[in-house]
Amino acid sequence: MTKPETILKAEDIHKSFGRLEVLKGISLEARNHDVISILGSSGSGKSTFLRCLNFLEIPTSGKVTVHGEEILVKNGKPQNVRHIEDIRSRLGMVFQQFNLWTHRTALENVMEGPVQVKREPNAEARDKAEALLKRVGLEDRMHMYPSQLSGGQQQRVAIARALAMEPDAILFDEPTSALDPELVGEVLKVMQSLAAEGRTMIVVTHEMGFAREVSSEVVFLHEGRIAEQGPPDEMFANPKTEVFERFISKVK
Amino acid sequence: MNPIEILFEYWPRLLDGALMTLKLTFLGALIAGLVSPGLALIRVQAAPMAQAPLRLYVSFIRGTPILAQLFLIFYGSGQFRPALEEWGLWTFFRDPFNCALLAFALNSTAYQTEILRGGIMSVPQREIEAAKAIGMSRSKILRRVVFPHAYRIAWPALGNEVILLMKASALASVVTVFDVMGRTRQIFSRTFDFSVYLWAALIYLCITAAFVLLWRQAERRLSRHIHAPGTPRASAQPFKESQA
Repeated sequence: MTKPETILKAEDIHKSFGRLEVLKGISLEARNHDVISILGSSGSGKSTFLRCLNFLEIPTSGKVTVHGEEILVKNGKPQNVRHIEDIRSRLGMVFQQFNLWTHRTALENVMEGPVQVKREPNAEARDKAEALLKRVGLEDRMHMYPSQLSGGQQQRVAIARALAMEPDAILFDEPTSALDPELVGEVLKVMQSLAAEGRTMIVVTHEMGFAREVSSEVVFLHEGRIAEQGPPDEMFANPKTEVFERFISKVK
Repeated sequence: MNPIEILFEYWPRLLDGALMTLKLTFLGALIAGLVSPGLALIRVQAAPMAQAPLRLYVSFIRGTPILAQLFLIFYGSGQFRPALEEWGLWTFFRDPFNCALLAFALNSTAYQTEILRGGIMSVPQREIEAAKAIGMSRSKILRRVVFPHAYRIAWPALGNEVILLMKASALASVVTVFDVMGRTRQIFSRTFDFSVYLWAALIYLCITAAFVLLWRQAERRLSRHIHAPGTPRASAQPFKESQA
């Protein structure tokens, strides 16, 4: 069997805010079809790391490679800034607070990227957006504005919006943390189906169930470093580090 | 003469004045509307040093009476006539309409810039981030996210500014522009009948009312996303009626 190709590679990512070093050299590789869950207690740097991957946060140093296109960062300065927009368009992102464009309908939100960034013709983008919204179970909500949708529905629109760009991988930044408990399930279900169809996903989450059952790899961050990393079954069965053991005992 | 007779006798002049008022206001607001987005962006994004001239301009306009600004341009340009003639600008400044328009455009630009700056600064950061994350360029983010939001936020205040400008345009009559006020003074000096001022007030009132109606119509369209009936969260609609 050939090794699946590498989609995304982050090497030695450092990030400091002023004197505070939040990320102390993190490397991560996502191959095609990987579903990587990033766990960690608050302040461990997991969201910051995720945001460094698509340069919403500019790392202090390190290298990010997406589909062969690499951006090297030294002293907080990316070496080839022009690639940033390109890398972003190849990585979908789903935010904790959904971040939908509130002045556009669900359908317009999903069409926006393909039409404005990839310059797809309107009709084509519309067909695709309709299919995607159907896929996340919102065919009857397409013409509603975000203010008319529940949190779970908004997050599903946000997922459809990310999918519309046909990304190489999707980054999820605590996608269920802002949701009412009864709405978490509908979003997780969509994410699960994405994993099942072989999407490459990197998920910062507090949902232990998802990390355990859906992901192919779990990364545990502690104080800006990877404390533990491996397949979920092994990691949850025999935690190797004390910090991870304490972490899972607390969230159980 | 009674007020009705005054109106019958002089309505063509008053209408003429109303058209002039509309022309001054519309052109002044339009010029300001074209220039202010760029200036507002500078106010939000540029380095403090680069903003200094702009801030000086804004505080000068806001800190001095519009009448003084008008006189400065109208009478001030006369002082520099030889220089202006040399640059071929005298034909422009010779016309009081141009002077008034310039004064109003400069004045409204300062106000609109500040209003729009406030709008730009209140654009939800999250939505800008979402636009970045999808790979939009800076200019695209401005066009697709920042300005659409900024204008929606600034809309009522911008409407107010246009109304203030419309009323301030009566000052143009002082430099011999025949707007509503100019025509009214002309008619009064012939008839010594104060009722013509009532008609003038009514004209201003009608213009304002029509404008408010139009502006609100546009506002309703722009804020559909807020007023749209919220199915799942109907009770959680925070905005019932907008303040114009």
